[in-house]
Amino acid sequence: MRKIPRLLQAVLVIGFVYAAFVVVFDVFLEQVIPASLLTMYMFFVIAGVFMVFTFTEESTRELVAPIKALVEDPSRKAIRNIVFAVLPLAVAAYTYFSTLPSYQAPVELRSIHPAPPSTVRAFEKRYDLLTLENPFRKYEKEDPEKFKQLVVEGGNVYTSNCQFCHGDKLDGKGPYAQGLNPVPLNFQDVGTIAQLQESFLFWRIATGGPGLPKEATPWSSSMPVWQKFLTEDEIWKVILYLYDYTGHQPRSWQHD
Amino acid sequence: MIEKRNLFILVVTLWTGFVAPAAAKSGDPDAGAEIYTQFCIHCHGEEGDAVTETADRLNPPPRDFTTAQYKIKATDFEDDFPNDLDLFRMIRDGMPGSAMPGWSDVLSDQQIFDLVAYIKIFAGLEEEELGPSMEYGEQIAISAESIEQGKRLFHEGDRCSECHGKEGRGDAIKGLKDDAGFRTWPRNLTKPWNFRASNDPKDIFTRISTGIPGTQMPAFADPTSDKQLTAEERWHVANYVNSLAKTERVVRPENTVVKADHVNGELPDAVDDPLWEKTEPSTFFLVPQLIGEERFFTPSNDTITARALYSDTEFAILLEWDDRTKSIPGDETAEKISDPEIAEDGVAIQLPVKIPEGSEKPYFGMGDATNPVTIWHWKSGTTDTPQSVNLINATGFENIEQRDAASLSITAQGFYQDGTWRVIMKRPRSGVDKEKDIELIEGKAIPIAFAAWDGSNSEQGSRHTMTAWYWLLLKPDIGARPIVSAAFAGFLVFGVLLWWQRSASSKRATKDV
Repeated sequence: MRKIPRLLQAVLVIGFVYAAFVVVFDVFLEQVIPASLLTMYMFFVIAGVFMVFTFTEESTRELVAPIKALVEDPSRKAIRNIVFAVLPLAVAAYTYFSTLPSYQAPVELRSIHPAPPSTVRAFEKRYDLLTLENPFRKYEKEDPEKFKQLVVEGGNVYTSNCQFCHGDKLDGKGPYAQGLNPVPLNFQDVGTIAQLQESFLFWRIATGGPGLPKEATPWSSSMPVWQKFLTEDEIWKVILYLYDYTGHQPRSWQHD
Repeated sequence: MIEKRNLFILVVTLWTGFVAPAAAKSGDPDAGAEIYTQFCIHCHGEEGDAVTETADRLNPPPRDFTTAQYKIKATDFEDDFPNDLDLFRMIRDGMPGSAMPGWSDVLSDQQIFDLVAYIKIFAGLEEEELGPSMEYGEQIAISAESIEQGKRLFHEGDRCSECHGKEGRGDAIKGLKDDAGFRTWPRNLTKPWNFRASNDPKDIFTRISTGIPGTQMPAFADPTSDKQLTAEERWHVANYVNSLAKTERVVRPENTVVKADHVNGELPDAVDDPLWEKTEPSTFFLVPQLIGEERFFTPSNDTITARALYSDTEFAILLEWDDRTKSIPGDETAEKISDPEIAEDGVAIQLPVKIPEGSEKPYFGMGDATNPVTIWHWKSGTTDTPQSVNLINATGFENIEQRDAASLSITAQGFYQDGTWRVIMKRPRSGVDKEKDIELIEGKAIPIAFAAWDGSNSEQGSRHTMTAWYWLLLKPDIGARPIVSAAFAGFLVFGVLLWWQRSASSKRATKDV
């Protein structure tokens, strides 16, 4: 079997690793790999391949032999002329496009579930978030009929106030969701209300976007300050509805 | 990759839309009743009559199942009712442009048919023999000729343009009401995301053929109508309507920046100046104002398009949005078609007073105590007063300072044609007062937000549509830098190669000697 030239081997290895990154992240994980991360990974890959392929003096010679021959061997004049024309042009084109400004929006980072404060002011009262509990939660065991009724009432509050953004199916895809940035939360997702205590939700609903700490960009959140529009009881009922509909359980100190 | 996935979903949706299920299955109304109680009562009501707290906040309102009247049906035009497949599809795919979502990710096909069986009971339809789906004839593929034919038929004798308008923006016949007394509008055909079924020619063909029951949209398959169309003609019109959606004024979610081009000399005053054509448009969704008193739930505008230009001294922005009515209080026709109280149409842009250095911006709802905003608000005028522009500085809803726009040389001029407002606002790039006026510096990302008012839809004050924060960028003049760097890099590489080759061959020559 004819041996593959060392240079081609090196190029193939690098190309294969690159393709593997793209395929694994973009296709299998459905998570586009960030360009900066890919650049960093590829830097290490290329450095590693280079180290392996230049381990001995002989292997180094073998690696660079084709390049050396191309530049120095008089018999390769034709192909050399082509490379001498194409390579500088390619470098020039790359430089040109990478110096063109992209006019992209600045990158904004934001914390989706910021740490809650220990106490919250709402409805002209002070709430201790560590001890705050949903006053209606107890009916789930004590009086299931009443609990069911409370959930329905919470559903009415939800559909006439919250579904516009968070959606009828609580999936964050309400009719106006696409006009908002940041986008409304998807309560079906296991990463949202399933990870939170009811007191956290009460804080987020009652004080809305402007009640967020700075790391969660209160200036851009479209979440209304619901204490202006809903009563305390209505907020607690909506919270019952959110958990009942999605089947998630609220976190609590007892069960954790 | 995200887009590819959407495409995949779209393909699957379309495929399932046409292929499965081929026939209606029979449903179990008792199982349907349970599903109904779980998912549907909040909008459609326990009795199916859509008398709910939510219904008052929805436009279009939720369907009243007791009337048996459904807008989207594919049965023959002579049939009063949709068939099971029609109802199935409305539940499965939802009604775009309304609050009704598609339920295919929550309910199985069988569960949806159970629901169909149940909601038919509200109107006593369960005993009714429902008609088969209509005849589609031979579908005519989309082509330039077909679109041209469709265009001719659309305008011939004012067949469709009578209501949908010259440009298809639904602006011709105004103030229509449906059979239930709700205000309806002819569809704006350039906005396919609001088509209750879809923008696929087959769905458009269905609407043209059988009409939209309960509304003024007639059935063009009806041979007794003097505007009747043959099946072949209806396919042409469907292809034409489908083509109307291809405008550049569509929301591209990845585009969040209004990019202002630099102009030497004067900025244009006319909306049809070719300079605007050359500028990249950015379109954003408008959503109703729901964060401050008084909240607004029934908007009519849903997108706004911005283009911007700047010179060494001045900045200009062209705002375009579709509005079916030119609302001029005092004007007799305008008053007649309006909701009880007519107000002026309007549009506004909001900018921070200081360009943020870090990530912190003013609150998008009119700023906050530490971060003031400046707002330029144009109004369409009344029969007694001309168009006007107001300058407002605000640090929140309740803290508003009205200022004199003329003192800052802000000008605004609006033009209305065929269902579209175009408004140009201009301001010198430097303000008068450093504490109150933003300095429009090139090359900096400046937060910008928009608001619009449709005066014929009772929109005034806090009742309006708005956007989230987006960005405005005065594109810096890049000059010759990319070209120079490219030439430098290219020559450098070429030089190194040449030097290498030369020194190798001279070494060889020395060796040969």
